[in-house]
Amino acid sequence: MELLLFILPVFFALSVLVMPQSFVRAYGLIGGLATLALTVVLMANYNPDGGMHSFVAQQWIQAYGITLHFGYDGISLMMLLLTTVLVPLILLSNFGRELSSNRLFTSMVFLMQLGLIGVFISLDGIWFYVFWEITLIPIFLIAYWFGEPERKAALMKFFMYTFFGSLFMLASLIGLKSFAASFAIEDLQAVELAPEVATWLMGGFFLAFAIKVPIFPFHTWQPSTYSKSPMAGTMLLSGIMLKMALYGMLRWMLPLFPEALDCVTYPIIILGTIGVVYGAILAIKQDDMKRLFAFASISHVGLIAAGIMTADKDTLSGSILQMINHGLVAVGLFLAADVIERRLGTRSLRELGGIAKQAPKFAFWFAALAFASVSVPFTSGFVGEFLILKGMFSFDCVIGIVAGSTLILGAVYTFRAYQLSMYGPVKTSAFADLSMSELIVFAVIIIAVVFLGVYPKAVIDFVEPSVTNLLASIKQTPLVP
Amino acid sequence: MSVAQLVPLIILLPLIGALINGLAGKKLPKTVVGAIATGVMAVSFGLALMVFSQLHEAVEVNLFTMIDTESFSLHARLLADNLSVWMTLIVTGVGTLIHLFSMGYMKHDDGYYKFFIYLNLFIFAMLILVLGSNYFMLFFGWEGVGICSYLLIGFWYGDFKNTVAARKAFIMNRVGDLGLLIGLFLLLFNFGTLEYSELSAAIIGSKIDLSTVLCGVTLCLFIGATGKSAQIPLFTWLPDAMAGPTPVSALIHAATMVTAGIFLVVRSNYMFELAPMTQDIMLYIGLATSIVAAFIAMRQNDIKKVLAYSTVSQLGMLFVALGMGAYTAAMFHVTTHAFFKALLFLGSGSVIHAMSDEQDIRQMGGLRKKIPVTHATFLIGTLAISGFPLLSGFYSKDEIIAHAFEHGTWLYVALMASAALTAVYMFRLYFVTFHGSFRGTHEQEHHVHEGPASMTLPLIVLAVLSIFGGILNLPGIWLHNMAHWMSHHLEHNVAGLNLIKHTAPEGNMALMLMVAASVMSLVILVVCYLVYGRKNSVPVADEQLKGWEKWSAGKLYFDELYNFLFVRPTEWLSEKGSHYFESMFLHRSVVGVGQLIGKSGDLVRKWQTGRTDSYILWMVFGLIGLVVYFLIYKYY
Repeated sequence: MELLLFILPVFFALSVLVMPQSFVRAYGLIGGLATLALTVVLMANYNPDGGMHSFVAQQWIQAYGITLHFGYDGISLMMLLLTTVLVPLILLSNFGRELSSNRLFTSMVFLMQLGLIGVFISLDGIWFYVFWEITLIPIFLIAYWFGEPERKAALMKFFMYTFFGSLFMLASLIGLKSFAASFAIEDLQAVELAPEVATWLMGGFFLAFAIKVPIFPFHTWQPSTYSKSPMAGTMLLSGIMLKMALYGMLRWMLPLFPEALDCVTYPIIILGTIGVVYGAILAIKQDDMKRLFAFASISHVGLIAAGIMTADKDTLSGSILQMINHGLVAVGLFLAADVIERRLGTRSLRELGGIAKQAPKFAFWFAALAFASVSVPFTSGFVGEFLILKGMFSFDCVIGIVAGSTLILGAVYTFRAYQLSMYGPVKTSAFADLSMSELIVFAVIIIAVVFLGVYPKAVIDFVEPSVTNLLASIKQTPLVP
Repeated sequence: MSVAQLVPLIILLPLIGALINGLAGKKLPKTVVGAIATGVMAVSFGLALMVFSQLHEAVEVNLFTMIDTESFSLHARLLADNLSVWMTLIVTGVGTLIHLFSMGYMKHDDGYYKFFIYLNLFIFAMLILVLGSNYFMLFFGWEGVGICSYLLIGFWYGDFKNTVAARKAFIMNRVGDLGLLIGLFLLLFNFGTLEYSELSAAIIGSKIDLSTVLCGVTLCLFIGATGKSAQIPLFTWLPDAMAGPTPVSALIHAATMVTAGIFLVVRSNYMFELAPMTQDIMLYIGLATSIVAAFIAMRQNDIKKVLAYSTVSQLGMLFVALGMGAYTAAMFHVTTHAFFKALLFLGSGSVIHAMSDEQDIRQMGGLRKKIPVTHATFLIGTLAISGFPLLSGFYSKDEIIAHAFEHGTWLYVALMASAALTAVYMFRLYFVTFHGSFRGTHEQEHHVHEGPASMTLPLIVLAVLSIFGGILNLPGIWLHNMAHWMSHHLEHNVAGLNLIKHTAPEGNMALMLMVAASVMSLVILVVCYLVYGRKNSVPVADEQLKGWEKWSAGKLYFDELYNFLFVRPTEWLSEKGSHYFESMFLHRSVVGVGQLIGKSGDLVRKWQTGRTDSYILWMVFGLIGLVVYFLIYKYY
């Protein structure tokens, strides 16, 4: 049953290549929904208090200590759910766009999904690394094949930068293995390291994650890549792919190097907090909507990364909720930017205006997303930010207050973007209101966000036991009382 | 039905109204949309009255748990006690009247159904704010009303100016919200709960000294209150918020939302009592706001702006009351203020409606005869807010001033000065608008008319309430022993409030103060009549003003100051940061690392020339180097 997690994406990635052109989109959607259904079934069968459910655990290449070890707990399942919910949504939001080859695109999305699922359920360092790198191929190809004309320099930077970071992770992994029996996560955790060694080894992991999240100042690849990629690529990147890095921090970085936490917690939290303010301030004056949302994303994920580093239970639960929220909202916002671009051929805020008059439905859903993005109550972002900020405030009240400025700055850039494009006198030619597929995507996202905002217990209770287990493996006392 | 069943219904009804109109409102005829929205409000008000009559003890209604972890839990829970039910009555009662008024006022607007959806949603959020049983629920409502306020200020979004005002309101409120949120964290951190009942039990029963903690908490809560209740330094959004339709100004920016800050402080009164420093800060800020806003209102010529500054000024006075610990007096004034300020705003709406959307009082004049109902009710509102003897504002304001007299003579004098300014600008507004000769265009004059019954009826009801509202707390009428009914009502069955006793002067002293206040308001009335009413003098253009008048008309240049201090530096940082730091420095250094690798490859490549002679040359150099190295190594 669990092996279907690998089989389904591979099957759809290959079979979609031979489907008739007219059926490709529907087929892709079916495939996405099938994996979603599978995840839901797995979640229904999973007992939140049952700890890690590992379904494959055996030796593989003994000489190098590589094992076949896969499994999931509440955290992984939440990430799987996010992935499998977003993939159909991303496919659906692409219905309004003509691509040069829908077959290849859909196939690459499923390949991407395979990599993501693998990352979330790998319990062996090598497999984690392999899947981590696999995701780079489809996203690069999607952006390369379907992106904007002047994409090449940006893509080159993106590829080299992230690949560069990943190699350091691999080096660290091998370094750590030299002290351990195998690459299996339990063996790696069992290693006791001197703090200096642990700090250096952790640095390799951190570099890989920090580039992918991205954490300030490792973010320079992101705005250009986001704005040059096709919409679906941006969605995959911001919606799910960066969650991979946050997940990596949670699952690998914290438990493997508890010895280093004393030394690195503060610097990383401070970097995350700087990112919160820096991203927000730079977003204020952006003219390209996608770039604006890219900087906003830096601001939001900086907060999540900082929240994870507090290694406090409630804060971690909040971070996971916020990861889900950010995935949903980011996909929605990039779709909104794309809806505008599809119809008008521009994303420049200077040229937009008055769309609300022409497309009231779009105005409503975009407004709902804008509110979700500034984390007002009744949306999941509020609960997530509440828990994270609370944790950071208990960690260090000054940092908490500085990070809390996202409340204010977030409202500044989000509403500037919304108002410049939607309000004021009509500046652009006719604007057709939302199509059915776009409407469904927006509605699903908003319903999910509001549900989680009113009843966050659904997520928190599901992940909490797993978070407790995870923290128990960090042997030293957590830094937050 | 029991209280526990009624309370959730009161909250749900406006939400249901909003949902119905949201799903079907576009297709329904306007009267039906308005009737649904107003109907749910009326029913909600009826239910609130039932709760009010049945309520004997505080009732908590558990809805569901939102978060439940080992360290804390957050519940969606409601609390009906005398304070929250009183606020509910104000919100739903005044809300119903304003919904009714809007049916006439917004009749010709394209966004009619949207307007009522927002209004209903606002009431929903406001009811969560007042009826929640913990600070978390309060925060939900607190931000919820902020969203609705944003949507309604920017309701006419075709004009970009309105949306800028909406954004300003939202952002300034968020500054306060951050303060409130930190207050919540402090509470959670120190007490592990946000429930009112648990907190009051923990704090009142505490054996250890909590004054430092509570000082921090109350300061944070007060920062939140300055945002929502428009106090210095976060008050400049409220006058701009007048960009919204007038019923919105009446409901949100006068009667209900802006009093949320007062409600918050009254709810947390036991904490403020233990934090004297915050109380003092609150008192001074309230006083400063009250006088500054009244001063600015003196030379404003937009009918709604005058009322907006008046609201800010009255709120300031309320914070003075809270700073003195006069919680019941503050709640009394909140109540009467809701009546007469809603009346004044709706009256101004009726004037604007009659004048075909003209808001400048210099273009009005002589409306007394043309719209008699509006005139009469507006006059009542003006008299009530100016403290004219025996009207509601007279009693409630007098109670605060009496407390101030007890607190210190200087405070009494300052508050009297603020009250005097209030009377002056209000009478000026009244006389310039309704007396003298008509100054509008010919077309406007032809068009001036009284609104439909849906507009005049709320005016009349509010006028009656503005006249008689003061009786609520008149000693001896409802209770024996000269007790004040409302103070008595609010001192019981409210978390913590019953600890605080009422220390206003009684008997002759109180009577003396009342007489002084009455004489003052009468004198001002006469003077204003002579200056503005009889002489028919019209305010001159702002450019011709000099001295203090120029400062008043220029709103003391707060907006310019904030632009200079906050807005422009942030924009500057954003632009320059994007250009210099992001592209020139960060981007370059990343690319630089890549180039460094390339360059070093280039460099090394040049050594690999493939020519034997150069290799031999390097070998000789190497040998010499080694020899030198070993020689040095050996002899030193």
